[in-house]
Amino acid sequence: MIEIRFHGRGGQGTVVASELLAQAAFLDGKIPQSFPFFGVERRGAPVTAFTRIDDRPIRVRTSITRPDVVVVLDPGLLRTTPVTEGLTSGGLLLVNTPRRAEELAAPPGVRRASVDATRIALAHGLGTAMLPIVNTAVLGALARATGVVTLEALARAVEQFVPARPSENRLAARDGYLGVRNADPGAAAPAPAPFAVPAPLDRPEGPVASVSSEVIHTAAWRTFTPVIHLDRCTKCNFCWKFCPDAAIELDADGYPRIRLEYCKGCGICAAECPPKTIEMVAEA
Amino acid sequence: MTVKVLSGNYAQSYAALLARAQVISAYPITPQTSIVEKIAEFVASGELDAQYVKVESEHSALQVCLSAAALGARTYTATSSQGLLLMHELLHWASGMRAPIVMGVVNRAVAPPWNIGADHADTMSQRDTGWVQFYAESNQEVLDTVLEAYRLAEHRDIRLPVMVTEDAFYLSHTVEPVDVPDPATVDAFLPRREPHAVLAPGRATRLGSFTGPDHYVDFRHDVGAAMDRVREVLPRVEQEYLALVGRELGGSLPTYRTEGADVVLVTMGTTTTTARGVVDDLRAEGRKVGLAKLRVFRPFPEDELRRLVADVARIGVVDRSFTFGRMGPAATEVSAALYTAANRPELTSFLAGIGGRDVTPHEVRRMFETLLSGEAPTTHWEDIEEEVKVDG
Repeated sequence: MIEIRFHGRGGQGTVVASELLAQAAFLDGKIPQSFPFFGVERRGAPVTAFTRIDDRPIRVRTSITRPDVVVVLDPGLLRTTPVTEGLTSGGLLLVNTPRRAEELAAPPGVRRASVDATRIALAHGLGTAMLPIVNTAVLGALARATGVVTLEALARAVEQFVPARPSENRLAARDGYLGVRNADPGAAAPAPAPFAVPAPLDRPEGPVASVSSEVIHTAAWRTFTPVIHLDRCTKCNFCWKFCPDAAIELDADGYPRIRLEYCKGCGICAAECPPKTIEMVAEA
Repeated sequence: MTVKVLSGNYAQSYAALLARAQVISAYPITPQTSIVEKIAEFVASGELDAQYVKVESEHSALQVCLSAAALGARTYTATSSQGLLLMHELLHWASGMRAPIVMGVVNRAVAPPWNIGADHADTMSQRDTGWVQFYAESNQEVLDTVLEAYRLAEHRDIRLPVMVTEDAFYLSHTVEPVDVPDPATVDAFLPRREPHAVLAPGRATRLGSFTGPDHYVDFRHDVGAAMDRVREVLPRVEQEYLALVGRELGGSLPTYRTEGADVVLVTMGTTTTTARGVVDDLRAEGRKVGLAKLRVFRPFPEDELRRLVADVARIGVVDRSFTFGRMGPAATEVSAALYTAANRPELTSFLAGIGGRDVTPHEVRRMFETLLSGEAPTTHWEDIEEEVKVDG
């Protein structure tokens, strides 16, 4: 049995990716089992999904804590989520990133692979620059890097089961297959980057959570960062008023300051700003 | 027969399609929503000739099914957690009015704190509403059981509503291969509902109106008697399903490797699958352990249970919910059923998988080992570190 764990964000097609993989494995004559876990169903929120593939009926119904393969659809999650947890020597880490596989941090003995699925998705018109739908390109890369499904089965599954634009998605899967870059396990793999998210909440005392939700740095969701060009700012405060997370404060001079630890990067401030002084910049 | 890779939720939807449900009404709630979304697609595309009634709450959804069932229609609805709790009043109406409604329930934790994970507190809280309750282990079982549920619900000796439950995410959102029978095969097993319109236009009839102490008790007794008759009808329906569709459904309390077992673990829903693997491992090590799946919770399979424990020293019951002030609800029931058993094994109530926690092979193994140790407690919470104090 092979166990694969996907990490992505709501809206990127993470759950669909795990299901498409299951459909493809079935077309290859295997027995799949696939399911997602999500706390909140919202665009941008971190999502985990699990796929098991075996030749025999699968005798376990739990989430996957010791994966053979970890697939990361959003490179921003490398900073905020312990994606490689449970991944041990002999395993594989596959990340959607423009970076080379050698640059990825992974536990010792873990093979690394990267694919620029965002570029591939956008080239085929899948999703938007703010939210590219990268799942099929990533699956193509996964097929090549692991051999867990054939590209033929994956293409058929994509044609049959993607919710929209089957032809473009099939081409994205092919390009992901061709575009995957592999790296051997690093001799001394760099330690994982520190997490931007603070330590877990204290255990609640009684029926009320003992700490304010202020400690939850919702910025973990962000894929684009708003940058205010203050030289053109008219201090109209529209951004402050429209921010759905109250992540914008006004300084002593009345200029808006964004508290980036709470900004989810939704882009509403940029859309509402009358003189268009707010620019949404993609996170690396 | 076609094998499709389906979620537990879609297994419900395909079953409603194959059953040719005529009236569907539901209100969305995570993690149920995709069941009725898929059915809405079937109705919109013309694949399913049904009336799909949009409503403003779960309470109304069940009322629509209730009324349609009274007029002779085959009905389907689905819900979960808070939605099921909101239906509570009408759940009693459905059994009391002998409405053969079939409902899919995705077992989800009850708030607060807010949680969408697998937990049986929602349906366990409906134990006394007069609904037959099935708990499914796999998506295949979901589909097969919904079809079986219509036969039971509409059987002239039963005429009671049936709920077919599945664990949130572990089935509802898990895709796995499911054998979908041909429509013609299902039609042979489950023909159109026998015309039994309690209410009909142009005919003055009362249904559910006031009844004094002189007759009320008879109505309640009848519901109980009908529920008891499920025990006789269920094996006959399952025989027919086996003959026509070729799959065994397993009855109320299917067992796994219980021959010569010293200890037996009783599980419900998806915990069963994981426990099967653990039983195989322990048997390979020469430990005498077995497994029983509590598939039907109402009516409770007390005779099967008493037969099962004839030579068993210890029994553990795994509950995915808790009856505050007692133990796990299934453990409570098992314990009551064993009171009159010739051999009364010691019993431990294990609380595990609450609020969507994984019940891992490691955890199930530990339960068996606790039972085998001979020093098992009465109630055991898995992985609870300390008591949460309300006032510090």
